[in-house]
Amino acid sequence: MDIQGSVALITGGANGIGEAVARHLVELGGKVALVDTSASALDRVVRDLQALGGQAIGVVGNVTSEADTARFIAATLEAFGQLNIVVPCAGIIRDGTMLNRDKDTGQVSRKLSMDKWQAVIDVDLTGTFLTLRDGAEAMVNGGWPGLLVPISSVNKIGQIGQLNYASAKAAVALMPKIIVGELLMRGVRHIRCVGIAPGYTATPMLTGMNQDALKAILADVHIDRLIAPDEIARLIGHCIENEALDATTIEITGGLCHPKGIAK
Amino acid sequence: MQTWTWSDREFSLVPDGRGWTLQCAEPGGGVLTVGTGLFPGVYSDEALEKARALVRQTHPVGVNLIGPDVNHALPVTGVRIVGPAVAHPNFIRWTGDSVAFPSPG
Repeated sequence: MDIQGSVALITGGANGIGEAVARHLVELGGKVALVDTSASALDRVVRDLQALGGQAIGVVGNVTSEADTARFIAATLEAFGQLNIVVPCAGIIRDGTMLNRDKDTGQVSRKLSMDKWQAVIDVDLTGTFLTLRDGAEAMVNGGWPGLLVPISSVNKIGQIGQLNYASAKAAVALMPKIIVGELLMRGVRHIRCVGIAPGYTATPMLTGMNQDALKAILADVHIDRLIAPDEIARLIGHCIENEALDATTIEITGGLCHPKGIAK
Repeated sequence: MQTWTWSDREFSLVPDGRGWTLQCAEPGGGVLTVGTGLFPGVYSDEALEKARALVRQTHPVGVNLIGPDVNHALPVTGVRIVGPAVAHPNFIRWTGDSVAFPSPG
């Protein structure tokens, strides 16, 4: 599928990977509808895309809401008349171990709260599902060729302190096989689904962290640096253009390894 | 430039060379760019009509009232007190007043 003239819906589009995907697609002649929770952040990105001569809109929305999801897809269609690419980048983390023990008594002193659990499941899993579901609905009903790009994470293999996040991302990593199987079962052959599972990426969340902690993370990354959001954007661009890619989740980690050198 | 008011906010549509740029005035005085390069090749009247339709989606009007949250009742001496479902994704925590709120009478 050509990126030139295609229309992409990108949630979490006002920063990090979502912003990089928007910029990359606009540079290649795509049109983008960005969804985020911050109007001012959307304004900044839309202005940047305007400077590139791009076509873009920003919509403030909550990906966990069915009503908002229907609304930002409707806005995309009002602005550009079609939808071809759906990239649900919106995601959050709320880290914590399932149990904490009191050092003196050995008894459980704290549990992972429902607030932390549910917030991550709502945004990272349910939000991804709603955006993909309603995006695919529009594409099927419109008869437009397209690609769904759920964003998983290398931490889908299991990361301590991230029971909520890793569980959500493991589920998202499965989505391409299930979605494509169901599309095939329903006779829909013009919509593909390819997941992306990034490793440690140079988003504000990571670059702003404690530098010693960042150095420890990089010790296990073969290329000895964080992945640039633009590198993920270019992989997504390749997935759009290469129709042989379908029903799979691709890792882009820079060779992230377990300590002692076994690749994750 | 064409301007109109929707949901207490002023919107403007400005030709930008490629198409049209849609802007929204902020209550504090700033201007947000909602869209750029929109409706290329479309003349002003039709562009305005399309922009109005787009704004109805990007800036919806209305407040949803959600609740009561019966799953998280607060038991107080045998009485179960239920509040609004503040964790519902459609719950809106309204902390400001509308500049267009009608005055009494």
